Amino acid sequence: MTQFLSLLLNGISLGAIYALIALGFVIIFKASEVVSFTHGSLLLLGAYTIARLSDTLGFFPAVLVGVLVTAVAAFLVERFIINRLRGAPVISLAIVTIGVDIILLTELIRQIGPDILNVPHPWGGDSVRIGGVGISENRLIAMGVAGVLIIAFFVAFKYSSWGVAMRASAEDGEAAALMGIRQGRVSALAWVVAGVLAAVAALFLVGAPTPGVSAAAYTVALRAFPAAILGGLDSTGGALVGGLLIGITEALAAGYQEQLSFLGRGFGEVAPYVVMIIVLLVRPSGLFGTKELTRV
Amino acid sequence: MTAGKRLRGATVLAAAAVVAVSGCSTKAPESGGGGGGGGGGGGEGEVTTDVGIEGTTIRLGVLTDLTGVFAALGTDITNGNTLYWQDNQVCDTYDVELDVQDTNYVPQTGVQLYSGMEPNILAMQQTIGSPINTALAPEYESDSIVNFPSAWARTLTEIPGTGVLGATYDVELANGYQYLFDQGLLQDGDTVGHIYFEGEYGENGLAGSEAVAEARNLTVVPAQIKSADQDMSAQITQFASEGVDAIVLTVAPAQTASAAAVAQAQGLDVPILGSNPVFAPGLLQGPSAQWLKDHLYVSSPITSWDSQPELLQEYQAAYPNTTPSLGAVFGYAMGDVMKQVLDSACEEGDLTREGVLAAFGELSDVDTGGLLVPINGFETGVSPSTQSIILRPADVPGGAEVVQEAFEGELAADLAGGE
Repeated sequence: MTQFLSLLLNGISLGAIYALIALGFVIIFKASEVVSFTHGSLLLLGAYTIARLSDTLGFFPAVLVGVLVTAVAAFLVERFIINRLRGAPVISLAIVTIGVDIILLTELIRQIGPDILNVPHPWGGDSVRIGGVGISENRLIAMGVAGVLIIAFFVAFKYSSWGVAMRASAEDGEAAALMGIRQGRVSALAWVVAGVLAAVAALFLVGAPTPGVSAAAYTVALRAFPAAILGGLDSTGGALVGGLLIGITEALAAGYQEQLSFLGRGFGEVAPYVVMIIVLLVRPSGLFGTKELTRV
Repeated sequence: MTAGKRLRGATVLAAAAVVAVSGCSTKAPESGGGGGGGGGGGGEGEVTTDVGIEGTTIRLGVLTDLTGVFAALGTDITNGNTLYWQDNQVCDTYDVELDVQDTNYVPQTGVQLYSGMEPNILAMQQTIGSPINTALAPEYESDSIVNFPSAWARTLTEIPGTGVLGATYDVELANGYQYLFDQGLLQDGDTVGHIYFEGEYGENGLAGSEAVAEARNLTVVPAQIKSADQDMSAQITQFASEGVDAIVLTVAPAQTASAAAVAQAQGLDVPILGSNPVFAPGLLQGPSAQWLKDHLYVSSPITSWDSQPELLQEYQAAYPNTTPSLGAVFGYAMGDVMKQVLDSACEEGDLTREGVLAAFGELSDVDTGGLLVPINGFETGVSPSTQSIILRPADVPGGAEVVQEAFEGELAADLAGGE
């Protein structure tokens, strides 16, 4: 039972971080209809900036700068590339984001170099025990922060003028434009928000129990992809549920690897994708995604 | 006097003796026409050469990773190679020039780069990465190339001309277990959890655990991961619930850090035994540094910087602003083994590729002055060494200190294969 609870708690905490990243995917998709593959390198950029500046600036200012740098980078990608290619086929845009991702990632790997960069979180590697279940403080704080950010996002999405504008553009771009909504601005803001979420996710991803900033942190962003897809790529609520589902699935499948060994070793890796495929087979638009309706 | 110094002194003496005895000529005429294996006229003071030697300069190839996932390791090993050949000559005559190319850890790139450098090199000083070594194996074989990989998977010993410098991963871990048994940290009948990478490296490490488990009645809980996995929470949680008495790792440093952090969080107070690639000095800057110092044991074919102070000084002078890692020691030692091969080929009067390959095959009891564990020789499918060094993290240059000099565990000889 302790094992189950422990894995569950770990899965939820991991899922909360995935949800932040997945939410970024979804916001960008809703605002600019682009599936952004740049997220992995944006996340790494945030982590790298925080790690590099922590020594000179101190932890909290470094986090602020890191979040800012990531948001600005996302903004620049949108302004100088995505915005200028407006009207290009969706597939081309997705491929362009892969290109941007590779360029940014290569440079970051070069900068990170031989080291595993450590982010000096004030809570360090400390852990707390809840009943018999141990969890790192880093993950516990991550859950809290992710919760607050997600709630704040939903409130803004529902009530702020940006949220309304974005929902309107996502619903019907042309009609929204005719109503005077500046889609360029909506899209830019969406990228900035996604950048901020990625940087915050990065901050916690590189803390205990993961080792620090290395190129591998990048691949985590890719795990958030099935989360966004199975939730429904255009559903913010779906990103949240998808993130948690993927986090829990991954933790349980890895933790019960021995019992699942009839499926082959290393099933934890595959499990999120299996879940995604099953969900999509049953609901092709994801759990909460909008069904495409074609009237004949 | 350190081993490194002693080693250099000894190699200079040996080279001088070689020159005196065999009359290894300072002129190195191009004889053209490839092959012509073995023989040669050592006695006549002529050295036969074919590819990769111009005048008194030998060119060796280096296919390393300077920008990919193993950039850290690749850079350090290449620095070690370079430093070695700045200090040393083959046969007291030939300078060695390295043709360093960056594969980015992509096998396809490696194959292309190799075909570019192949007409100009005598042998390969270094090829990083099992996939790249495996991809190039047929070409190395048909071109009669002597090559040193920086990996210890058993499959690499199957490639003719490829010299794995140390015990293979299975033997290495068996020696590590031996140390835990000897220190009373592990008992017969205990349970161990083994986290390992998919692929040759991990599988070969797991084979070591399974062999020890059979001999000492251990229960092994295996957990396979991918190299991109960063979070060991689920695996360590599983181990905790199985009540393991030790954790064994055949992974990379990132996973070591995570495993230690989770074990610490869960209060899983057991020793951690690792294959040599699990450690990097950077681990000691992380939040789990103290836990690692208290719990980690690394079984390695390479000694620590701690035992080579003069080499360390030289390295730091040549490469300031770098963190000395085991990779750099290994790079230096690779140079030394290559020199022994080339010196012996030169002594036979045959520095052709065939001559070098023959010299490689006959090399036995390779002593690198303590930089590496003693190497018995290179026989197909056999672990080149049966010995390992046990390292522990500590606040010393390079981050690790030797707690057990090279030794052979009870199971090593059986596992190694051969006679």
